[in-house]
Amino acid sequence: MTPLDTFLGAMVVLLPVAYLLVAVDYGTLFFAGLPFARRSTTPALRSVVLLHLADLVALTMRWHQFPAVTVSQALSVLAFAVAVVYAIVESHGRERSTGFWMVSMVFVFQLLSSLLQRPEPPKRELFHNPIFATHVSLALLGYAAFAVAAGYGFLFLRLYRELKAGRFGTFYGKLPPLEVLERMMLGALTVGFLALTGAASVGAFWAQHVFGDGWIRDPKILFTIATWCLYGLALLMRRLRQWQGRQTAVASLAGLGAILFSLLAVNFFFADFHGFL
Amino acid sequence: MARLGLDSGGSSRQDPALLLVGTDHRSSPLELRERVSYKEEDAEELLVHLIARPEIAEACLVSTCNRTEVYVQPRADEQAYRTALDLVFLKRAAEMEQPGRLFVLRDGAAARHLLAVASGLESMVLGEPEIMGQVKQAAALADALGTSGTVLRRLLRASLAAGKRARAESAISSGAVSLGYAVVELARNIFTRLEECHVLLLGAGETARLVATSLIERGTGRLTVANRTAARAERFAAEFPSVQVIPFEARTEALGSADVVVASTGAEEPLVHGPEVDQAMARRPNRPLLLVDLGVPRNIEAAAGRIENVFLHAIDSLDHLIQRNLKRRREEVPKVEEIIEQELGYFRAWYRGLEAEPLIARLQKQAERIRRDELAGALARFPPETHEDLERLTRSLIKKILHHPSARLRGKGAEESLPRLDLVRELFHLDDDEPEEP
Repeated sequence: MTPLDTFLGAMVVLLPVAYLLVAVDYGTLFFAGLPFARRSTTPALRSVVLLHLADLVALTMRWHQFPAVTVSQALSVLAFAVAVVYAIVESHGRERSTGFWMVSMVFVFQLLSSLLQRPEPPKRELFHNPIFATHVSLALLGYAAFAVAAGYGFLFLRLYRELKAGRFGTFYGKLPPLEVLERMMLGALTVGFLALTGAASVGAFWAQHVFGDGWIRDPKILFTIATWCLYGLALLMRRLRQWQGRQTAVASLAGLGAILFSLLAVNFFFADFHGFL
Repeated sequence: MARLGLDSGGSSRQDPALLLVGTDHRSSPLELRERVSYKEEDAEELLVHLIARPEIAEACLVSTCNRTEVYVQPRADEQAYRTALDLVFLKRAAEMEQPGRLFVLRDGAAARHLLAVASGLESMVLGEPEIMGQVKQAAALADALGTSGTVLRRLLRASLAAGKRARAESAISSGAVSLGYAVVELARNIFTRLEECHVLLLGAGETARLVATSLIERGTGRLTVANRTAARAERFAAEFPSVQVIPFEARTEALGSADVVVASTGAEEPLVHGPEVDQAMARRPNRPLLLVDLGVPRNIEAAAGRIENVFLHAIDSLDHLIQRNLKRRREEVPKVEEIIEQELGYFRAWYRGLEAEPLIARLQKQAERIRRDELAGALARFPPETHEDLERLTRSLIKKILHHPSARLRGKGAEESLPRLDLVRELFHLDDDEPEEP
């Protein structure tokens, strides 16, 4: 067993545990406002993100391909992307109150990744193709942005309900204002939609070139198109002022559910030519 | 020089001699407190009179609408008490001598009380922040007049440090606990920036005045008032120059541009109806609307609260919010008390050092004398080239031996009991007749 294999083996356990500890740290900040958590959360998150980056680089070096050839690897890249997006949002907005929720989501993705880990991922010549690599990168960026949007959508809904009902509970007074949560959600949705549009366009171009006709009937492709339409509809309705923040938040949560279903269930049970991921 | 806290046996005390005579919102009603409340000019005159008395070494006065407290360092306790009582309280209100109107605290209890006052624990509204500024003013006045000396200056600094830490390290001052600030707090949970909000006030009475004060203090962007009686609205606007007055009939139209609507009239029927709010929302899509109904009976129809993106809060809801925040403040009290005990410990350690320094100097002087005498007698038995080393060795020995006792005398390691200074004098046979070094 090489040192690289040892490192990768350790990361399967270490990464989800590390994210869990960071989530707990953010949790003590959110629920208890403890002074040490104010100092420790950001450095802890950045340290774990760097560790995660090291893991992804090690995976690339080990298997000589972009580390998204399996569902497990894709989930890990997704977790990393969400963590990076959140770290940037936190740094830009100087706002850590949503950290517990975002890092918890990262932990869940990373835990799923570890649980679905396969000892030796298949070699995919496909992933050496730069067009295909672009497609996968854009898709994962899109999914990460949608995950962030869903996180903010969840928080928006919780705060909205407390304010609507006059119940000043767990979320009241601890989150950014409703307008800010909505703006963050819409920003993430827009980035996600653009990235997914890019991914779909590149993917369609490449598939048409390689497979000719028929690729569009793959269940995974159809499901992704449906998800893309859902997000597009949410943004359009919002733009046309037919939907308010609450409806958009519900759509973002539904969209994340669809993405996870696509990654986990559709991939395993229904995929045709797109069964690699 | 401040009087040190030595009792007749020559032993030291943990706390300097302090005397507090005071009254607050718990011990006397407003009408009495008003009579013994001192504005700055009166406080100046009072402090000068107090310090002129031989029984009082230092004096400071904290006087607000809810309390008047005089802190003195007495040279003679009983006389100082009578002087403070007469000059500060009885001269203005003889009724203050009635049982229960005043409280008297001494030494450590007086010090602890001042720290608790500055931390907001003794305020009518727990954790209110204004008291810090008032204690700071009292400290500045006493300093400017020269009525506070070594001990009171240090104590006042400790109280301000405790107050600052209490607010930084606990939530004792967070959360709105008044109607006006509750409206501000609600708005802050909805809108990005209060400075960009347009607030519409329906009614120009006392409640509207309180709300307007809070909103303006917190930097609300634009304030508009509509009242059935135009003259009253104009008087309101005269009091708050940044407020714009609109005709009462224009209130429905104004709903479309307002972000926050606060209704506080005595109208028998609602002034704002569900369909009007619905139409207003159509003119302001994707922007939330906060409706605060402080009227009894309701000024805003309950149906308005069911509209998407409209948040309607009546007086009960705000009261619930205030009670929640007060409860959270009460939960912070143990944390603040811990901070107070820490700061009191630092104050005591400082005071201890004040007393202990002369004794430490004498101890070191005695040790040095013994070292020199013994070394002088022994040097002849050693080669000359070793004399410098022996000098260094003996100095180092004395320094190391006295290091721990000196630190303990200065009160380091506050959790341990501090040694009595008279015992130290006895153990080391420090000559009492020998004058102490300054």
